[in-house]
Amino acid sequence: MREGLLKPLRIPQRSTTLSNGLRVVVHEDHTAPIVAVHLMYHAGSKDEQPGRTGLAHLLEHLLFEGSLHCPKGSFDRMLERVGGTNNGSTWFDRTNYYEVVPSHAVELALWLERDRMAHFLPVLNNEIVEVQRSVVMNERRQVYENRPYGMAFERLNQLLFPPDHPYSWPTIGYMPDLEVMELADARSFYQRYYTPDNAVLVLAGDVNTEEGFAWAEKYLGDITPGGNPPVQPGPLDPGPSGRIEVMEDRVTFPRIYHATAVAPFGSDDWVALDVLSYLLADGESSRLQRTLIREEQIAQDVDTYLYPTQLTGIFGFVATSRSGVEPDRLIAAIDKVVAGVAEGGVTEVELEGAIRRARKDQLQTFSTVEDLADELAYVTTVLGAPEQLEELVNRYVEVTAEDIARVARRYLAPERRATVIVIPGAGGTGSDEGIDDEEFDGNDGEGYSFE
Amino acid sequence: MTGRDTALSEHGLNRADERVSQVLPVPTPGAPPAPVVPAVERFVLGNGLRVMAIPRRELPQVAARLVVPAGSAADPPGQAGVASLTAALLPEGTARLTAVELNERIDGLGASIGSRAGHDFSEIDLGSLGETFEEALGLLAGIVTDPVFPEREVERVRAEILDALDARLDEPANVADDRIAMAMFGANHPYGRLPAGTAEGVRKLRRLDLINFHADRYRPDGSLFVVSGDFNIETLRALLEKAFERWEGRVEPAVYPEPRFAPLEGDSLITIHREGAEQAEIRFEGAGIPRNHPDWIAASVANYIIGGSTITGRLGANLREDKGWTYGIRSGFSAGVQPAGWSVETAVDAAVADDAINEIIHELRRIITSPIEDEELERAREALVLSLPRAFETPSRVVARLATQEAYGLPADYWETFPARVMAVDREMVRKIATEHFDPARLARVVVRPPVGPR
Repeated sequence: MREGLLKPLRIPQRSTTLSNGLRVVVHEDHTAPIVAVHLMYHAGSKDEQPGRTGLAHLLEHLLFEGSLHCPKGSFDRMLERVGGTNNGSTWFDRTNYYEVVPSHAVELALWLERDRMAHFLPVLNNEIVEVQRSVVMNERRQVYENRPYGMAFERLNQLLFPPDHPYSWPTIGYMPDLEVMELADARSFYQRYYTPDNAVLVLAGDVNTEEGFAWAEKYLGDITPGGNPPVQPGPLDPGPSGRIEVMEDRVTFPRIYHATAVAPFGSDDWVALDVLSYLLADGESSRLQRTLIREEQIAQDVDTYLYPTQLTGIFGFVATSRSGVEPDRLIAAIDKVVAGVAEGGVTEVELEGAIRRARKDQLQTFSTVEDLADELAYVTTVLGAPEQLEELVNRYVEVTAEDIARVARRYLAPERRATVIVIPGAGGTGSDEGIDDEEFDGNDGEGYSFE
Repeated sequence: MTGRDTALSEHGLNRADERVSQVLPVPTPGAPPAPVVPAVERFVLGNGLRVMAIPRRELPQVAARLVVPAGSAADPPGQAGVASLTAALLPEGTARLTAVELNERIDGLGASIGSRAGHDFSEIDLGSLGETFEEALGLLAGIVTDPVFPEREVERVRAEILDALDARLDEPANVADDRIAMAMFGANHPYGRLPAGTAEGVRKLRRLDLINFHADRYRPDGSLFVVSGDFNIETLRALLEKAFERWEGRVEPAVYPEPRFAPLEGDSLITIHREGAEQAEIRFEGAGIPRNHPDWIAASVANYIIGGSTITGRLGANLREDKGWTYGIRSGFSAGVQPAGWSVETAVDAAVADDAINEIIHELRRIITSPIEDEELERAREALVLSLPRAFETPSRVVARLATQEAYGLPADYWETFPARVMAVDREMVRKIATEHFDPARLARVVVRPPVGPR
């Protein structure tokens, strides 16, 4: 019924699997003379053990500190010499490493990834671990502890998930765990997970598909597979939480956080929840913005988020009080808005607007080879095939008003969620604007801004 | 590779840790692709609005930015914050549509419109789907030309800004940023204060001040519209003429007070204590150069070497990669119509704050007193030139680059000649920039840290 709302989006790509199990995806786009070389390992903080939280992320930092044929410091320098940029990030389900290079330097990027995948452990030593442990501890202080509201998400996920659930601890890791992390921990994580048969390589941009496949074979095809790629756990629904906690922080205004476990990334319910998220809080006319900010004037800001996570999706709300407003009023107002959707449904007009706004953001993401490569790698890693990206994106127009009301009823009832209320006080630590903290850049050398 | 293998056995490293025996030579890249700077269609509408249009048809999306010389530098005396409040109120109701109607239309199209005041300019950004660009453009034009500043919305947005000004100081990084700007430029220069102004100033502003500021400053002749994306260049001009047909008049560039960098006395470290802080926020700042200064490119190269990258810059190589004291340290020249600042910023483990300050001073002195290595200079130049394609990869990046170029009065061939001018930067030019701008004796310093001493 909504055909014609948006044209179907095409995301052309071809893929193959090398004999060592490495999956390779090439997306050709000759618009700009650059290529994203993106290597994603199917391992993240969910694969850590309690007591060693933060290991996946610390290892990501270590991977930038040199390999056998690329001494410390040269990784970035070699890429700078060809105009390349690079970074890596760690999240619950995956860790990625990527370079964006002018199209003459694709082989150099692949050579560097080869060295990290095949010749990393011989150079890993205690001194490197010590320095990067210190960098990561400062990252934790800078991004979380020393920022207003900075510890809220950590506590929120502890309330949402039981302590043995792999999403219950933060990707950055707990300070005491970081303090005791040893070289041997990093070695064993690397040996287990950083294998070609547990990775996806995406080349996106100004590259010829056949040549891309040949380069992948040349630089990564002879690396010994792990043999037994880790079995990925199935969906792990933590069940309803219903827990609420108040924490003090050095802040001026109260802020409330809700999170609820929902359907995993890629499911039909997840897509409907994503549209619901846009409908609730993206755009000034969205239900929460209109109600909390304009009509009732009780919030400075309100937002929702939906994590594309593998074991279970996570749907969240964040809202900050205007001065003099008790946080309970925010919670009541959000409940009322959500109940309005669950019981009263939504209009076709607001649904179509939400689908269009989701598309606008998707287009923005797909317009850089860096982000498109990330999306292709993520979908291949978590959903199993690169075709799933195009399929997923084109499913949004099929979401109906009934779907929206149904997922609101099914997942967003107050008794299912965990809540953290941050109030002004002496509390320890400190911010962040909500959902931006989902990834931790290990190596934030974006280089140079042309502004 | 032989030498390295010997070293390997000498250090008792374990070959079994390697997953492949064959060592491949480092690939030597051939000639880099020629930089592609997008061709710009320039024209001026009948009402004097300058237009730069860059079609990009790969994806059905459009990005546009209207730049008006209505930044906080144009705040009339006694009305600090008026530019910012005016920009915030633009999308809050027009002669034809209430705020609610306007927002429903924008959101229904899948578009976004954002307006904000900076120091030098105010910018109104549009993001839209290709399918709905024409309607979205109509809404943007209405917002810019016919805002009515409804009393109710003025009061709501004012209250939001006052709350935001309070919340801002919860962040130690903001406390440091605000203090160093004040130390450098003083309260009487626009660069010394936030575009949003102060709480005291924002409380005093009247609705009439916004109406007058808009009437004075939001004029087509003297403003700039940049658009890139999926539109038909043949019909764009007619579309723009129609959208902006009722807009008229001329606006002159803002007049700035003489930049007067505060004189520094002795040890100029300003310390702000923050009980219980886990880190120390450190800022150094000194005089920079205007964005359109001929030295800007040499300054970019010099900055790249000292702190343009948190990993390979000298500051990052020392404080992060060698010492592990920080997650990041960067430096940069701020873009301004007038000379804005050159600054170093970092957050370090509170326990090493003094050592970190000393190391920063050491690195700043070193780049002035000892020669730049050829490899460092070449790497900085190549990083800047060869990463150029990324700067023009998306419609919104194209719009940002070209809006900067035009608004700051850079030459029309700025990006075409950029590579050659970067490659012409030599060691002497870098040393000159370093001597003039990186000398720690001429930099204000701020640290926001927990109180030191016995607890």
